[in-house]
Amino acid sequence: MSAAVRATGLTKSYGKKVVLDSLDLEVEEGSIFGFLGPNGAGKTTTLRLTTGLARATTGSIEVLGHDAQAAGNAIRSAIGFLPDVPAFYEWMTAPEFLFFVGGLFGMARTTLHERTDMLLDLAGLTDVTTKIGGYSRGMKQRLGIAQALINAPRLLLLDEPTSALDPMGRKDVLDMVASLRGRTTVFFSTHILSDVERVCDTVAILDTGRLVAHAPIDELKARYGKEKVVVEVTDHADDLAKAFGERPWATAVARGALGSIEITVTDLGAAQHDIPAIVAARGSGLARLEAGEISLEEVFVELVGGER
Amino acid sequence: MNAALVFARKEALEIVRTWRIWVLPAIILFFAITAPLLARFTPEIVGAVAGDQLGGISLPPGTSLDSYGQWIKNLSQITLFALIIIYGGIISAETSSGTAILVLTKPMSRTAFVVVKAVIHSVFLAVLAVVGALVTWALTAAVFGSAAPGPVWSSTLVWLVLGVFYIALMTFFSALIPSAAGAAGAGMGAFVLLAIAALWKPLSDHSPAGLAGQAAALAAGKAVPDLLWPVLVSLAAAVGLIVAAALLFRRKEL
Repeated sequence: MSAAVRATGLTKSYGKKVVLDSLDLEVEEGSIFGFLGPNGAGKTTTLRLTTGLARATTGSIEVLGHDAQAAGNAIRSAIGFLPDVPAFYEWMTAPEFLFFVGGLFGMARTTLHERTDMLLDLAGLTDVTTKIGGYSRGMKQRLGIAQALINAPRLLLLDEPTSALDPMGRKDVLDMVASLRGRTTVFFSTHILSDVERVCDTVAILDTGRLVAHAPIDELKARYGKEKVVVEVTDHADDLAKAFGERPWATAVARGALGSIEITVTDLGAAQHDIPAIVAARGSGLARLEAGEISLEEVFVELVGGER
Repeated sequence: MNAALVFARKEALEIVRTWRIWVLPAIILFFAITAPLLARFTPEIVGAVAGDQLGGISLPPGTSLDSYGQWIKNLSQITLFALIIIYGGIISAETSSGTAILVLTKPMSRTAFVVVKAVIHSVFLAVLAVVGALVTWALTAAVFGSAAPGPVWSSTLVWLVLGVFYIALMTFFSALIPSAAGAAGAGMGAFVLLAIAALWKPLSDHSPAGLAGQAAALAAGKAVPDLLWPVLVSLAAAVGLIVAAALLFRRKEL
């Protein structure tokens, strides 16, 4: 499968400050790609370079087979872009704005009418007649997503698309993103890990301008996650947590909700064998022993949160 | 429809639907209405205020040419200041607010973005100048009984060339300087420099520096034989400034 986005040695610096450091990245066409990283990691900078709004210091970035720094309209006519804080002409109404951006793509009037009606419905703005200046942040975010889809883009670039939305709005956007699977490549920057887990096939994690992971989500969890065991005991939870931490198969122990003990393990079988014996030896009772899958959040924290 | 035309329509609609439809038209219409009235009644007003202090000196009655002179003087000073302030953000207002990002990630070139703005606002200024001249001419005729059309139209058209030059200058400064206030400051600086340059005749005769004086001379009914040079140089400079603004804006990171 060909790459919708391919960055090679992509570096962006402002004076001595390097915000993106030799990024190598490939986003497969048709995939839903989650681009994760803490604030200041370089996610928005990568998107600005992808859309041609900024120029790379060194390295290159190809979008749909074209050099993003030089191609101009060849790329812009095939992408949809939602910036992190979309800004609109506040004197326009939502239909006027969608007509305006659709006009920039040279869309025929009848097609534009159909797309506008469909996207206003998707954004929940069909019956809103006020000017955009009176919209809430969530309404603007939804309109931003609608305008990014006006041209039925081959590549949809979304910078933090769900950050200003309420739970229902988030669900609608994630459902919409999921519905594009296989038809449109979605490049989805966010710090909301549950959103990525829900809709993305592949994920890249960026930290202080460097790529620290790039793989399908399942592979990433398998690679970094090891496994996790959640234990609930009747007594002596603190002593037992300490005892579990001393075993060779335990790499980390943490106290979870309601007094549970969460143990990250390297050998699940050994842990399941040893834990009941340790609990019994301390005169406690085993209320729950559950082998759990490590979440993307835990992978993320392990990769970028260690020294924070 | 071509993206540049769609954007031009947006710019025109923005003028009609925002504060832009009130500020510059109000300033120009105010001067168009007050110029004939001030020219007609200034001698009476001065006489009434000064009383006997003029010592028997009687001020000559106002003429239609005084009315035109007042109109052009106000255009060349206060209206140009207004243009400089209003258009300090002609480009940077869109880049700083973020609206330019949504437009320029569509198939719309940065060059077209700059050129369309300069052209649409120049056309807007031309419409206002024509309407203003028409009002001045009609009111002058009403107040003074007769009004020759030549001086008011020729002087207004020469001023319009200067106005278009200033819009191009502000487009350049606004592409160069991210802050609207900073660009307006640079525009004021350019205004002062041009006023000083107008004192040197060779420059005054061959550049925008002399246009205000030449417009004033036309409004006074005087002949200005070498008008073509400063007009052509000013228009060429306006085109050059817009091209420079487009080149600057193409290299700018948003």
